[in-house]
Amino acid sequence: MNIRCFQRNFSAALPPLVPLQLPSPMETHLWYILPDEVKSVALLNQYSELLSPCERENVNRICGDQLKKRALLARALVRTTIARYQMNCEINPRSLKFRKNIYGKPEVEWQNEDNFSPLPLHFNISHTTSMIACGVTVNVPIGIDVEEKQRRIKNNITAFAQRYFSPYEVKLLTAISDPEVQCQEFIKLWTLKEAYVKALGKGFSAVPFKTFTIQFRAPAIRNLHPPGISVSEASEEIVESSNDPTNLTNNWQLALLEVAGSHYAAICMERDKTVGGEANMPMKLTVRKTIPFVEDVCISGTDAVLALGGIIEQ
Amino acid sequence: MAILKALKLFAATPYTSSPLIIESDSRVALSWLNSIGKTTATTRVSGLKLVSFMNQGRSSLSFNLRPMLALLRISCAAKPETVDKVCAIVRKQLALPNDKPVTGDSKFAELGAASLDTVEIVMGLEEEFGITVEEDNAQSIATVQDAADLIEKVCSEKSA
Repeated sequence: MNIRCFQRNFSAALPPLVPLQLPSPMETHLWYILPDEVKSVALLNQYSELLSPCERENVNRICGDQLKKRALLARALVRTTIARYQMNCEINPRSLKFRKNIYGKPEVEWQNEDNFSPLPLHFNISHTTSMIACGVTVNVPIGIDVEEKQRRIKNNITAFAQRYFSPYEVKLLTAISDPEVQCQEFIKLWTLKEAYVKALGKGFSAVPFKTFTIQFRAPAIRNLHPPGISVSEASEEIVESSNDPTNLTNNWQLALLEVAGSHYAAICMERDKTVGGEANMPMKLTVRKTIPFVEDVCISGTDAVLALGGIIEQ
Repeated sequence: MAILKALKLFAATPYTSSPLIIESDSRVALSWLNSIGKTTATTRVSGLKLVSFMNQGRSSLSFNLRPMLALLRISCAAKPETVDKVCAIVRKQLALPNDKPVTGDSKFAELGAASLDTVEIVMGLEEEFGITVEEDNAQSIATVQDAADLIEKVCSEKSA
């Protein structure tokens, strides 16, 4: 038995995190926190204790209480979320170390300790003014993006789309006559594209938005083109064949949700090739709202989570 | 001559050896630095050249450097008017209260900008300055200064 497992360095006042099973392959756990719901200064201070000195310094450097709070909650969310997935021994959220891959995507730096095997956990976070979210998968990379549904776009949407989206997507968007609907569709598309780029983890320059197309595919009668959301090279406006080696669709699974009636959340995860089964198995999804150490509420399958696109199993 | 980006100077105190790190993309500055001490230059893909060299503990080097580098510092950043215009557009886009400081060093992420905000800011800047920014540049700017420098670069390329 490893003695280290039982060391608890964090404040005794904090109750332990409820331990959880890792997500299964092809499953995403989505955690989110609503900053407006966290008001207790004492709790915020306790979260601050979980951060590394460097993170705390970064947070303290931020001007403005709301922004500071959000930055703090983002770090606390990531640390506490990952620490929940304990296998053989308890992980202290404070002891987690993070680094960035060569493109700048954050990842966990598991410590090499005896009797402790690194967890094959991947995570990605996204924040907006009113929500901070963290997605977790096992074995495969993940990217998420959240945006407020009611967000106003200051620029002309058509001009915006023409600059950043692929021709197919522009055509789709400009065909929408209701400006409000057009705005919402724009935001949905933006979050999906963002989630894809973040999942790829190579930065925006590697995969400019214009170079790929995201398409919603309604269930087809003949099942030639299975339903879901697909990604394809921008030049192809027609759904590509699966024989094409540059085909992106088979590698990545996308899902779009409406969360808490107020936000769109897009999730992109790589398909786990080691898992057998059909090419379009549903993405298993568990969504939880959390205030770490205070409450966790599983909201999957409730009205608070609305699947808008992709094949999702809650 | 390429515009010097913000010069960050971690001044060496006399009698200690500490690294002197300067970021600039001016060849003039680099060749000058090469001539006054041991330098190792490493280049980064983004065009920002990072030069660092060790002060071998001699105080004279740091004393000589200070006045020269102070001079360089004044001339190196994007024009203040540009930075100010960028700050104003950022403020508007992010709906920041007037008492919230926004400066060249302000990071978009720290001001609460998500990626969509950053792109909207860039589009606002393009309109204000009458330029077009490459898409991948737009999504990678991190600070107000980055934006100002990018604008000046694009403007100077346009008029070249």
